[in-house]
Amino acid sequence: MLAILIAAVFAAVELLPGDAANATSERGDSAADVAARRHLLGLDRPLWERFADWMTGLPTGDLGTSARGQKVTDLLADPFPNTLLLATVAFVLTAALSLALGCWTAARPGSMTDRIVGHAATSAFAIPEFVVSVGLLIVLSLWTGWLPAVTLTGADGAPATWTMLIMPALALVIPQTGWNTTIVRGALADQAATPHVEAAQLDGLSPHRVIWRHALPGAVPAVATGLATSTGMLLGGAVVVETLFNYPGIGSVLAGAVANRDTPLIAGVVVCAGAAISLVLLAADVIRARVLGASS
Amino acid sequence: MNINRRQVLLAGGAMGASALLAACSGGGDDTSAASSDKGGKPRKGGTLRIGALGRAGAITRDPHGTQGNESDYLILALVYDTLTVPGADPNTKPRLAASWEPSKDLKTWRFKLAEDAAFHDGSPVTADDVVWSLRRLRNTPSGAARLPGIKAENITADGKDTVVLVSDYANAELPPLTRLTTFVLKKGTSDKELAKAPGTGPFKLDRYRAGNARLVRNDQWYGGTVYLDAIEVTMFETPQAMANALLAGQIDVASNAGAVAARTAKSRKDVQVVRRPDDMSMPLVMRTADGPFADARVREAMRLVVDREAMVKQVLSGYGTVANDIMGTGDPGYAKDVPQRERDLAEAERLLSEAKFDLSKTYELVTTEDISGLAESATLFASQAREAGIKIKVVKQESGAFYEKTWLKGDLYTTYWGTNDSVVFFASKTLVSEAGQNEAGFADKKFDATYRKVIATADPKARAEVLKELQRIEYDRSGYLLWGMADGIDLAASKVRGLPELAGYGRVQLENVWLG
Repeated sequence: MLAILIAAVFAAVELLPGDAANATSERGDSAADVAARRHLLGLDRPLWERFADWMTGLPTGDLGTSARGQKVTDLLADPFPNTLLLATVAFVLTAALSLALGCWTAARPGSMTDRIVGHAATSAFAIPEFVVSVGLLIVLSLWTGWLPAVTLTGADGAPATWTMLIMPALALVIPQTGWNTTIVRGALADQAATPHVEAAQLDGLSPHRVIWRHALPGAVPAVATGLATSTGMLLGGAVVVETLFNYPGIGSVLAGAVANRDTPLIAGVVVCAGAAISLVLLAADVIRARVLGASS
Repeated sequence: MNINRRQVLLAGGAMGASALLAACSGGGDDTSAASSDKGGKPRKGGTLRIGALGRAGAITRDPHGTQGNESDYLILALVYDTLTVPGADPNTKPRLAASWEPSKDLKTWRFKLAEDAAFHDGSPVTADDVVWSLRRLRNTPSGAARLPGIKAENITADGKDTVVLVSDYANAELPPLTRLTTFVLKKGTSDKELAKAPGTGPFKLDRYRAGNARLVRNDQWYGGTVYLDAIEVTMFETPQAMANALLAGQIDVASNAGAVAARTAKSRKDVQVVRRPDDMSMPLVMRTADGPFADARVREAMRLVVDREAMVKQVLSGYGTVANDIMGTGDPGYAKDVPQRERDLAEAERLLSEAKFDLSKTYELVTTEDISGLAESATLFASQAREAGIKIKVVKQESGAFYEKTWLKGDLYTTYWGTNDSVVFFASKTLVSEAGQNEAGFADKKFDATYRKVIATADPKARAEVLKELQRIEYDRSGYLLWGMADGIDLAASKVRGLPELAGYGRVQLENVWLG
């Protein structure tokens, strides 16, 4: 699966006009210099050969060398943990918020609150991270001065203070909470129609108890899948958000790598992100299998 | 002497977000803060927090590598010294080389090193160190372009303090070549040691991590008093984020922040806008070798069609000056007495009909969005040309496609050079027939001969005369339509004093900065 993805990355970069030798050359370079550089980078070799080369290094943890001659693993050593940190914070917040909102509205089906939250959730998901980020920046930093506008790093390469995580995380959390609240609410509504939940309601249990004890367990597989899907969107959104807040993650690495047609670096980012997403999807599948297995 | 186009690319960039932000946060007052050179006697102490553009994937620690990041170049330029540095007049000033003189035939140049120059570990700088460094530079992939005309074996030491460069041809313009990338390392520094290698510059590296660095003052620096205790460099992916950091008080200087940031910061009393004139040219290139613009009269007409004031006002937001179709406006030898070309539609129409220019056709003007204002300049020019009956369609190309398909080949396109370089620099790189980056396919025997005469003339007075002649030819019939020069723009907190005001890489000379 990952191999197909990486093959697609190699092919896609190849299709872009220009190549790494051209993109990283200097204006003083002659055509011969660029050709020499092309040879140095191995760009004169067939695509499949470069792809095979890169793939054979992968099992040993070797992600190859970037177009500027740096080891890709070195280039990702600081940014990748930063992105994981940001995505994890955003993921936990999203999960907590959307579960809370979903349950809260499910306990009051058809009420004013239910409708307002429903509409808010749909629109939140529709707003691009870019717009959310700019809005947050204006209000929380430049108007009020409550939060730092950008992320500066400390001596260890991580964000200098935890307050620098708040805005980037929120920019990711708001749209994703919209998405997941809708899913939680929908899954709970489906559960509400099942006989055992209806029976619990008829028994006169409190709405909270019904949702918590009877509806939610059945909704878990759908919720887990929804949250797992979010991982991909969180990492995708991180590219935009990291750039806007100067957050030192792989999103910003990727942006520059694409501009430079730096195939090994792009592939390295894809592998890291792909591995993270695969893990979460796997976790979601495990949860699904357990819950469904238990109930069958 | 090289301008990495990706580097210049970083300098611009759209700034929509921060424009919006600053518009929301600023007051209505239009007075900007005091200029950086006011404010009394320099004081010692303090840490300067500066932001510079860069990308994680392009990071390099090699002083002789391709510096795609301004942030890397800034750090290197503070830690290591070049032989000479950019100046206002003359445009080449001493640094590690205290003085230099040519042989009579202008082929052999002897650079005498500064007497008390020493590395950060205390050892003195010898001619051997310099020779080793220059040869290392020359042997990089771009070495031939960085030290043109000088073979590695023709870089030698004469005693402890003199370095001799022998050029393949007479070259009066050799010292300016040593201004930008001739960083000097200790002889024998291995690639593995580069990250921690001692330099000779005004600052020592304290720590470095992923493009960000902290530098501390080198108290033993031979070049004069350094005021700042330390400089913290933060790398920024975009000019927006950098401007936001400055407005939020997280950094003191946003280096090369661009015109949009300047316009929005104008309303903030606590932010000074430092303008560095003659920083970037973004000319239109008309192909002279063949095609619709091969006729010099057509090119002349195109130059008469453009409304230069309007271009500067609209494309550069007023942060720039009108130019006169001669490249190298920051050169002290720039021909100021050549009459300024003005808009003259009647004359343009006369020239076009004389040249039998086909006005029924639509001509394509190819541009990119590599730097802010470039595509806008093409669009505005097209609408100005329409008033003279010339139909021009603007075609935007993605950067990669542009450099593959259009650059050096197209009939009509926009280009840009970030520079405070000399008239001769542009002549050698882009105008003589054999130039590697002859953007307009310009081949003019008279120009070539004049160019050779310039670089072979030692006497400053005689040379200035020939240089004028060269510029006159460029003005009359080259493929460039240079309508204006964009200012380099830095934003700074009001307490920062003594910021550099030179164009181009002059902006990295922070040794005279102090905090009020």
